[in-house]
Amino acid sequence: MSATSAIEIKDLRVDYGHFVAVEDINLTIPFGEVYGLVGPNGAGKTSTFKVLATLMEQTYGEVRIAGHDVLEETEAARRVLGYMPDLAPVPSDLRVWEFLNFHADTHALGSRKARLERVEECLARVNLTDKRNAWCKKLSRGQTQRVVLAKTLLHRPQVLILDEPASGLDPLSRRELRHALQDLAKEGATVIVSSHILGELAEMCSSLCVMNQGELLASGASDDVLQELGNAERRITAVLASDQANDVSEWLETREGVEAIKPSSKSEVVFTFTGDEAAKANLLASCIQRGFLVADFHEKGSSFEEILVEVAEGNRVS
Amino acid sequence: MMESQSTPQQAPTWKLWANPIVRRYAQSRLRPQGLGLWLLVVLLTAGFIFFLARSLVYQRSGLAMMDAVRTPLIPLFILQGVILFLLGTGQVAGAMTAEGDEGVLDYQRLAPMTPMAKVLGYLFGLPIREYVLCFATFPFTLWCLWKGGVPFHVAAELYATFFCSAILYHLTGLIAGTVLRNRRWAFLLSMGIVFLLYTIIPQLAKFGLVYFQYLTVRPVFEEHLGALLPQTAGAVVDTFNRLVPPERFFNLNLPETVFTLFSQLMLILTGVVMCWRRWRRDEAHLLGKAWALGLYAWTQVMLLGSALPLIETGRVFPSREMNRRFRRFLVEDWQPEGMEAVVMSGAYGLVSLVLLWVMTLMITPSKDTQIRGWRRTRKLERRRIPLTSDPATGFWTVSLMAVIGATGWFVFTRAVVESHWFGQIMPGTAVFAFGLTLVTCGLGFHALLEGRGGKVAGIAALLIGVVPIMMGTVLGAANDRFIATAAWLFAMSPVSSPFFAPGAILPMADLPEEVFKAVPRTFWFFQFVMLLATLWLVIDLWKRRRGIAKSTE
Repeated sequence: MSATSAIEIKDLRVDYGHFVAVEDINLTIPFGEVYGLVGPNGAGKTSTFKVLATLMEQTYGEVRIAGHDVLEETEAARRVLGYMPDLAPVPSDLRVWEFLNFHADTHALGSRKARLERVEECLARVNLTDKRNAWCKKLSRGQTQRVVLAKTLLHRPQVLILDEPASGLDPLSRRELRHALQDLAKEGATVIVSSHILGELAEMCSSLCVMNQGELLASGASDDVLQELGNAERRITAVLASDQANDVSEWLETREGVEAIKPSSKSEVVFTFTGDEAAKANLLASCIQRGFLVADFHEKGSSFEEILVEVAEGNRVS
Repeated sequence: MMESQSTPQQAPTWKLWANPIVRRYAQSRLRPQGLGLWLLVVLLTAGFIFFLARSLVYQRSGLAMMDAVRTPLIPLFILQGVILFLLGTGQVAGAMTAEGDEGVLDYQRLAPMTPMAKVLGYLFGLPIREYVLCFATFPFTLWCLWKGGVPFHVAAELYATFFCSAILYHLTGLIAGTVLRNRRWAFLLSMGIVFLLYTIIPQLAKFGLVYFQYLTVRPVFEEHLGALLPQTAGAVVDTFNRLVPPERFFNLNLPETVFTLFSQLMLILTGVVMCWRRWRRDEAHLLGKAWALGLYAWTQVMLLGSALPLIETGRVFPSREMNRRFRRFLVEDWQPEGMEAVVMSGAYGLVSLVLLWVMTLMITPSKDTQIRGWRRTRKLERRRIPLTSDPATGFWTVSLMAVIGATGWFVFTRAVVESHWFGQIMPGTAVFAFGLTLVTCGLGFHALLEGRGGKVAGIAALLIGVVPIMMGTVLGAANDRFIATAAWLFAMSPVSSPFFAPGAILPMADLPEEVFKAVPRTFWFFQFVMLLATLWLVIDLWKRRRGIAKSTE
């Protein structure tokens, strides 16, 4: 199958009764990308992933994995994908190597010797060789995540769908995960990974999309997404040479595009501004012309975390 | 690009030992630490039974060794039943729910094995320890069979039925574990079904519904009981069996073993289809419409085939059994009572109606399923949803099942009424009354379920189906003066309709005068009301379906 994209999502919609979990999402992910899907809890990430993983039937829309329609060619799609669910469950009655060997067996990865070799390879990839004989349930959260990642890699899938793979991992493990995913992408696999921590994804993903309340808010390269979501509303701090914060606040209230004015001290005002760069320069010039002694006038760039908090707060307000 | 290596080179489905799921459970459930203790307990119990029964009978009663060694056979058989039927079924249901609960079931859903391989893997993998424990008791059994001179065909037939029943019960557990999300409920439900089959279901046989007995090992066990007991006791049983031979299915002279296996295999096949559908697609109905229709018709044939031959001999009537048990061994002057025929007809109608409701629950699409079906139809540029697919309306299937059920009910009742015991002519209105009852109660429920959803249907079932019966019972028990009023309340419930229909129609209904007058009036009145309500619900259903179809254009 010579598919042009690893994942194609067209007009995807998922309803639970009257609740719309995912609404009209369109997305195309090329091969070899590490793609991040970010959004607060309840944004629709897991529902989207379940549809991608052929575990849930969408209400509407078309989803293709490496060219295979997930509804019409489910078995073919399953052969090329690897799915790691949120919370990465493991059975309580198996040891690590037994768990992996079982899944290698279900994927018919050859003789017992060949399967065990592949198990060792995958364990080495996630740095868990020393835990091969441990009981799955005795592992820490991070180790469990890595075991399930190893299971997901067993059959060398073309498309990896990882739901919150970094949750519960310590910084070192996160770095290892990031490197592992980037290595996989270099080998040609496409990785789609979700998280509610935008910064975490920005580090490991070449592209991102942000979801909230079932809708896709922005998608593209990490920097573009940051700009698209972060620059709509600038947060500006004006530092004055004298105690003029209240006067400046009163004056700012009359200006267009200025909102949420808050004097943080007698000589400092923080506000949000929706104008572009030229409008910002005009605002500063007017402020000086007005006679206010502006010692500093700077814009604080929104971090990924702040953007997501704002998205989530918007979620709560609405 | 990474190459997926999972091009299916799986072992054939029938090679159970090569099935990854069987191997996985063999690994986890047959670890020496876990198995060892159980094995010790089972071997000690089996050994205790074997040596106690053998030595007690041989040493104390003075029976010959050949007779003495037969005595542990039945206790060992019961022990094996407890292990495989009860523990095995509970294990299958509980473990299946646990897999779903923990979330690891999704891994298997994604594994590129055929759905049938997955069903068989779980069916034989989950209770693998119970199979091993059961086989561990077999040396004792084999020794008893050999030394006791039990014919080979007796043992073979008995154990063929035993393992067939075990598979059927395990499959029930598998379905319960797949459908129910709560581990405890799945465990209790599956164990409850086995318990019901051996305790409550045999009681239904007393009302002519003999077929359900064939879902157990009982008929084959009773047929071969003589060969399993010490020779003197066995001879008595054999003599009795020869005097009162069991009636066969449609008098076809099929051996009990063949009929039992035939009955159970059909249900096993149905269970496998249910699991297979769920493995293929999680949202799928447990049964397709065509299969549900076929299964309903098949059940009617089975019920009739096993009940009709009992009518002429009188063994279908519960009073004959009571009479035989409490008064005489062989009865000559016994005669069934008219009300017995009414109650038996009612029981048949109720079972047909309950089965119709169960099938309706399985095949009725929810609103979400209907929307998905219409979206898919539009995508594939079709004009209609295929009639037998899950999102299609269940209306036609339920209608056909109601007609089949009414026919079976009529045939059974006519055979009872026109038998030499009563010698009456079945009134022609019975066709209409039985048909109306199943159509209104069945279709009304279906239209409510499909049109308004499960919650509304559930509340309606409680308020219309259960509450009037409770009120009628309280009122009727309070004072005899309220009997007629209680009859009106009872008639309001669709659950009691199958009893009111023969009560209103059959000439031999021997009811107190007040009730005799009230029953036909209440029956026809409420059937008329239910007919109007059903018509309204069906029209409402069509409007709703059309609305859904339009909304997806």
